[in-house]
Amino acid sequence: VSVELLLEVCVLACMAYLGLLYLAYAAQLVVAFVESRRLRAERNVDRASAAPGSRFCPPVSVIVPAFNEAGGLSDAVRSLLELDYPSFEVVVVDDGSTDGTCERLTAEFELVPADALSRTVVFSKPVRGLYRSRRDPRLLVVSKENGGKADALNAGLNYCRYGLVCGVDADMVFSRDALTTAVRPFVADPARVVGLTSALETAADPYAALEEGVRYRLPETSPLILFQTLDYLRAFYNNRIAWARLGYMLCAAGAFQVWRRDLLEELGGWSPDFSCEDIELTFRVHKTLRELGRPYRVVCLPEPVGVTEGPNTLRKLVAQRERWQRVILETCWANRELLLDRRYGAVGLFGMPFYFLSEVIAPVFELLALGTLVAGAAFGLMDWWLYALVVLLVSLLNGALSVAALLMHEHQTRAYGTRGLLALMAVMPLELVAYRPFMSWARVKGTWRFLRGDKGWHKFERNVRTEAA
Amino acid sequence: MDGRTSVALACAAAGGLWALGASAVLGGRLRQRRRRGHIAAGAEHPIVPPTAVPAAPALAAREHLLAGLRSDAPDVRRACVVALGRLADRHEWAVDGLIEALAERLDMPARVAAELDRIAPRADMRLLSLLGHPNGTVRYYTARLLAREEGGRGFVPRLVLDPSPHVRVAALQALATAPSPLSLAHALRLLRDPDARVRAQACRTSAAICPAAAGPLVVWLLDDESWEVRNAAHGALVAAGDGAAEVVLPLLDRDDGHAGSLAALVLQDTGYVDDLLADGRDPRLLERIFAAGGERLRALAAERARSRPREREAVS
Repeated sequence: VSVELLLEVCVLACMAYLGLLYLAYAAQLVVAFVESRRLRAERNVDRASAAPGSRFCPPVSVIVPAFNEAGGLSDAVRSLLELDYPSFEVVVVDDGSTDGTCERLTAEFELVPADALSRTVVFSKPVRGLYRSRRDPRLLVVSKENGGKADALNAGLNYCRYGLVCGVDADMVFSRDALTTAVRPFVADPARVVGLTSALETAADPYAALEEGVRYRLPETSPLILFQTLDYLRAFYNNRIAWARLGYMLCAAGAFQVWRRDLLEELGGWSPDFSCEDIELTFRVHKTLRELGRPYRVVCLPEPVGVTEGPNTLRKLVAQRERWQRVILETCWANRELLLDRRYGAVGLFGMPFYFLSEVIAPVFELLALGTLVAGAAFGLMDWWLYALVVLLVSLLNGALSVAALLMHEHQTRAYGTRGLLALMAVMPLELVAYRPFMSWARVKGTWRFLRGDKGWHKFERNVRTEAA
Repeated sequence: MDGRTSVALACAAAGGLWALGASAVLGGRLRQRRRRGHIAAGAEHPIVPPTAVPAAPALAAREHLLAGLRSDAPDVRRACVVALGRLADRHEWAVDGLIEALAERLDMPARVAAELDRIAPRADMRLLSLLGHPNGTVRYYTARLLAREEGGRGFVPRLVLDPSPHVRVAALQALATAPSPLSLAHALRLLRDPDARVRAQACRTSAAICPAAAGPLVVWLLDDESWEVRNAAHGALVAAGDGAAEVVLPLLDRDDGHAGSLAALVLQDTGYVDDLLADGRDPRLLERIFAAGGERLRALAAERARSRPREREAVS
């Protein structure tokens, strides 16, 4: 009787957790829908306007930290130099690569060694060399000792000349209007907008997926990429857009983040003390500005600004998601005083609780559900029909959330081909059984590594890409 | 109702939501297909004009848009500015509306200025009155707008004495596009401005007007307290080319502040260091430059020297 009671309590706890989680998702979805429509109207106005790309747009410094990215970095840099923005510079920071990243850039962009003006506003590992492109003077390559992504971004910050700083990932390929899109909120509300991120697409081969920086060839029909596409859609459209509207945009994605340089300098740049830098910086921005009582906004735009590389094997994907889980836990733990503290407004009252609910304690309930399932089966206490119905319910709820995100994406852009769209909708209900178990495993692994104090990047091998013409 | 039935009902509801969403996605595609004939992957939504105002009678449109500029909703004000920008192609009242927006609605000056920039120089004469506007932001955008055209530039030099540093920067930007001895004199005077942004722009403007003359006059700014000014002075000296060498060489032995290292950097960027290395004519001077510029400057110069023979071979 006691085992039965214990299992019943476990089942009820899991169901209560699921209920609370989906209620939170549903509430955010409503906000995201309204905000997405507003942003679409705003974008349509902006497209008719002369402001984007005009000479009144502020110049931007783009920092590309790279460690062993010989395969894809040239694609990223090329797509950056082809942006249609009137005034920007690209600072590539080679973080002590050992795979010939710098040599490859030297060959492609005719780099010449030359010292450059800098100022040490934030600390970073020593710089070994500086290279300026003879082909395009907007490109500066900083070669430094290995110190991690945050350290590389800080090194780049010391060489940035402009007032807006855009940190991007080296595995990305950018759409031509990426900066024009991203700078709009800074022009529209210069007094309050301090940071921004924007939706991203994912593909195994970003260069092939974004032809000439204009035409998307998405989504790729590999099931693993389709599932990741759904993940990104939900992360940006269901969550971040709502977070930004509600004032607790807690993660400016490292793949594309724009910040005011004065704020970065005031905060001391990106912190190298965490496994990953993006979430931590966003939390720190909220914490500092809330404590100082300054009005500010961290924005998320629904327009995709480029394509990031999605791991094309399960092993690589688990390694990536394990790191994401680890950094979420590190950041939440480091900022635990924000939780339910009214001084931090929406960040403390809604943002942090949501993060705790959806990310921090998720592995606990995932393990509990698994344990309950095994124990129930072992003791012959399982109602298999009911279990199957619950699995079906969660699958359909996930499907409903995904299709809502897809609908918002469709309202913004028609980046997906019709066949890809159908494939996405077909895999939606399968996500729970075909994809989530691996993500749960990654989360459990990430939690375990966090508890052990592991802060390594554990970089996995990049996908093999098609050679650029 | 037992557990199975309630979960089954919840499944039906969730399935219904999923089906509803899927049909909305596919329905959207089909509607597009009907409208356009077919949908290509990657095609965008049609751009909806900000308002239907262009089709409305001019008088009604004017009233609506001018009232909209005073709306409390930023979205409405933004849409009105864009609509006025579109209408300014054909209607003078829309140009007046934009100028009014620049003068009175100070929350989106860059947006209004971009619309006025697009229709330049039609607004120029009317913009002149804004040069005396009490708000520095308005004067800044006015100066930048006027700087674009020959007709407006003549009025800009008086703004170099404006109390707002932003306006002085705009005036200097304007002077850079209208080179004359008087422009150079104005720019050189502002090299001693108390505001760092103005000093930096004065360096850039001086270099743009007459790089050879500006070099010796901006050299002392290599030791400015502001990084932006030092950066601009370095740029101005590099623009001066070969002439910069004799101006910066005396600074090499200064070990206080930034002047020595920046002087070495100027010598690197003008090619002076590479020439010295190639000729081998003055090793002591080279040593002074490396001592001032630091080990990295020396290492990078050596790296360049090593790669040059390979480049020559490749060319031959």
